[in-house]
Amino acid sequence: MKRILLLRGAELIVFALLATIPLLVVSPYALGLLTLLAIYGILLIGLDVTVGYLGQVNLGHVAFLGLGAYTAGLAVTKLGLGMAPALLAAMAVGLLLGGLLALPALRLEGPQFALATLSFAALSTTALNELEGLTGGAQGLSLDRPPVFGHALTPPLFYWLCMALLAVVWMLMRNLLASQWGRAFEALRDSPIATDAMGVGTYRHKVAAFALGSGLGGLAGGLYAFNFEYLQPHSFTYDLMIILLLGVVLGGRKSLWGAFVGASVIVLLPNLLSNRLLFQIFSGLGFAMALASGLRGLVKKTTRPFQALAPVAAMGMLVVGGLLVENTEDWRKAIFALMLFSVVVGLPEGIMGFLALFLAKLFRVPHAPLPEPADLDAVLPARAADGSPLLVLDDLKRHFGGVKAVDGLSMTVRSGSIHGLIGPNGSGKSTVVNVISGLYTPSGGTIRLRGAGLPSGSLLRVAQSGVARTFQNLQLFGELTALENVLVALKGVYRSSLPRVLFGLARAEERRAQAEALALLDLIGLKDQALARAKDLTYGAQRFLEIARALARKPDLLILDEPAAGLAHPDVLQQIDIIKRVHQRGITIILIEHHMDVVSELCDTVTVLDGGRIIAEGTPEEVKRHPKVVEAYLGQPPQTDISGGAAPLPA
Amino acid sequence: MDPSIIGQMAVSGALMGLVYALIAYGFQLTYATSKSINFGQGELVMVSAFFSLTLTNLGLPYWLMVPGGLLFGALMGLVVERAGVRLALEQKGEGWILLTIIIGLFFFSAAENIWGRDDRPFPTPISADPIHVLGVDVTRLELSVAVGVFAIMGLVELFKRRTLLGKAFEAVSADRDAAELMGISATRTVMLSYGLSGSVAALAGILVSPITTVGPTMASALILKAFAVAVVAGLDSGFGVVLIGMFLGALESLASFYLGSGWREAPGLVLLILALALRPTGVFGKATIRKV
Repeated sequence: MKRILLLRGAELIVFALLATIPLLVVSPYALGLLTLLAIYGILLIGLDVTVGYLGQVNLGHVAFLGLGAYTAGLAVTKLGLGMAPALLAAMAVGLLLGGLLALPALRLEGPQFALATLSFAALSTTALNELEGLTGGAQGLSLDRPPVFGHALTPPLFYWLCMALLAVVWMLMRNLLASQWGRAFEALRDSPIATDAMGVGTYRHKVAAFALGSGLGGLAGGLYAFNFEYLQPHSFTYDLMIILLLGVVLGGRKSLWGAFVGASVIVLLPNLLSNRLLFQIFSGLGFAMALASGLRGLVKKTTRPFQALAPVAAMGMLVVGGLLVENTEDWRKAIFALMLFSVVVGLPEGIMGFLALFLAKLFRVPHAPLPEPADLDAVLPARAADGSPLLVLDDLKRHFGGVKAVDGLSMTVRSGSIHGLIGPNGSGKSTVVNVISGLYTPSGGTIRLRGAGLPSGSLLRVAQSGVARTFQNLQLFGELTALENVLVALKGVYRSSLPRVLFGLARAEERRAQAEALALLDLIGLKDQALARAKDLTYGAQRFLEIARALARKPDLLILDEPAAGLAHPDVLQQIDIIKRVHQRGITIILIEHHMDVVSELCDTVTVLDGGRIIAEGTPEEVKRHPKVVEAYLGQPPQTDISGGAAPLPA
Repeated sequence: MDPSIIGQMAVSGALMGLVYALIAYGFQLTYATSKSINFGQGELVMVSAFFSLTLTNLGLPYWLMVPGGLLFGALMGLVVERAGVRLALEQKGEGWILLTIIIGLFFFSAAENIWGRDDRPFPTPISADPIHVLGVDVTRLELSVAVGVFAIMGLVELFKRRTLLGKAFEAVSADRDAAELMGISATRTVMLSYGLSGSVAALAGILVSPITTVGPTMASALILKAFAVAVVAGLDSGFGVVLIGMFLGALESLASFYLGSGWREAPGLVLLILALALRPTGVFGKATIRKV
């Protein structure tokens, strides 16, 4: 309760203050700045979706601002539309083009994504410049703010409109980003493969996130057009894009407040740069901050020397420059560069990331309380295991060029069993798992689940058919908490439509989901660490968490890819215990493992692979004595010479 | 349409395209060792060109100015590596994208203030008079671009194949971890690649400046096309960038002729987005297998 009061209270107070300003201050200049603050606020919230949540460097956001502005401008001047339809059109153009750009950009990560967006931005500037008949080209486009309900919008009224829109966007985005959608965006950033394997779907979420962010860019563009009433293509270039990135990064990623702080910085920057004294004061403050945090980092050894010293050097350059340079305005790009550099290197969480921790301590903001764990029987109802064939592989093949990683594998996994899959390194175990789970398309053969063909070549569709897997090389969503890792994968709870989520009407569902996820965390013994970030957990706990996350899919078949790899002995025992408990619920398990004792203790049936083919199958005891297995693991057995004339082996 | 005009446009466009290829080659050098590229490479081209201009204005002859410019480019490349790339690589993150953009911005602003915002001519002893070859006119200046591009690419490739240091470079490109285990310092090899890449960028600046003039914004269009060439060709094919560079140069020269000079940049950008959509590893790139 206290948490809600404090967080919502802060939002309410800030917006109330902002709303009353036009009644108190009459300076049109100040009002203009505040209007711009609201517009940039919306713009940066949109940019934060890709830069913060998706974790991609987006260099195309400025294009959506420009396209939105021109859409609104043209809607008013050429089509004679009113303000509301023009703004809607601007937003729709952003959504649509954002979605379109996301389609090719989908498969891309990191530098390629940045390049795709950069090219799009350059292309749209070219188009705005060259389509002179429509946009007026470099001449620019003049427009008048259309009246609303017959009233001309005076500056204070327009300001209120922008603020109201910012408040609405704020509220909707807060709900969305705290929901399953926001978590999916973040999951996507940390591990696209696991996101697909957990049945979430990277495809639609990446498109949705990018389109959404771009739509907000378009909306901000519409407001921009009505604010300045004059548009030029060269207002929307790379230079502005850098400033927008500065805003998001400096303010703090993944934070609405961060976007707000960033927008304030952007709006105030020109004033800061034009006043030399003010600039000297602020650069001095920045230097002191960098020095203090750098020294703290060095003393506590939490940062690398470069991370501590580089921002100090950059801020030092700013201070010296501020004293030497007559006209700071001339150096504005270098100043942006130094500020951005210091923040990216020294304060990666941004101002709000830093401040949020501090304020949370100061006001003792408690974590939102967690519900009681649900009953495990309700989450994972125990199923009857009848021993019927669940998964049938028939002559499965997967070749990589000339390498036959899996070469004609036929195997039946019976319902309710733990089926071991073992073999020396390079025998094709992992490839089998990757083919079944849809990462690789089989080169030949069939896979049937309960008699029906399993989709091939799609992690997502296999996951949705009831097969869940863990990963040998952990693929957790590192930045998310243990609880959130499970929530991302949770099946069957989230049913609310997008509008209900946006308006915050899906909270009951979220509580139920948390209760279920906690029950699963309890099963693996991590209930008490539900709020710890996955990457901060111990290695063993991370392996257990992979299982809990896979269980959240409520699967018929669970594939465990070396769940005990690299675990210390006590953790191996706990892992065996966890797998037994999962098995008791009637879930069929395929276990890939190197530890023979784990396999012996858990498995009903064991299939041994070598060179992509089955060399033995049976109970663990049978398999262990099988001569081919012994040979595969230990090499050619010494020739037993019946005549007895062989020389004794050297000891 | 007169075919000789088309041929003329294609040839001079293709020669210009070699400059894109050269800058794209600079991306490949760093991508090979570190899987990173300098997003501020255009600014590197520009500051190196300005620095070389200053050397020329100080009275240095052309043949001394060129190595001076290359050295400066290498130095700036090392600055980028130290300040923008190393930390991000150590953290195995993608922070280098933003950081190299930021360092480029800083170079841009410094150049604006040190050398001014205006475009300036770049003197060269190579004549700009056209000579007639196979029905098209080319200038010695344009030919010097081709010679310079092939010379430095040849030298770098020879270096990679024939020297021990070059083999270390290839080893780190092939498998960073294995190379480290063999006692090769990956960090130093990445530094080397950034130094080489800086020199290559500087040469691109020196070669193109006499044709385009020198100014702070001289590389902003150039770099977009170099990106396009690198992505379309793939970030691991030196042969590919030359081919795609010449193709793109010819294409945009024709596009600006038929569609108007404002559309000059469009083909490269469209090609880049298409290539990313259809073949993210590039036309000549190698596909890799996803592993988990």
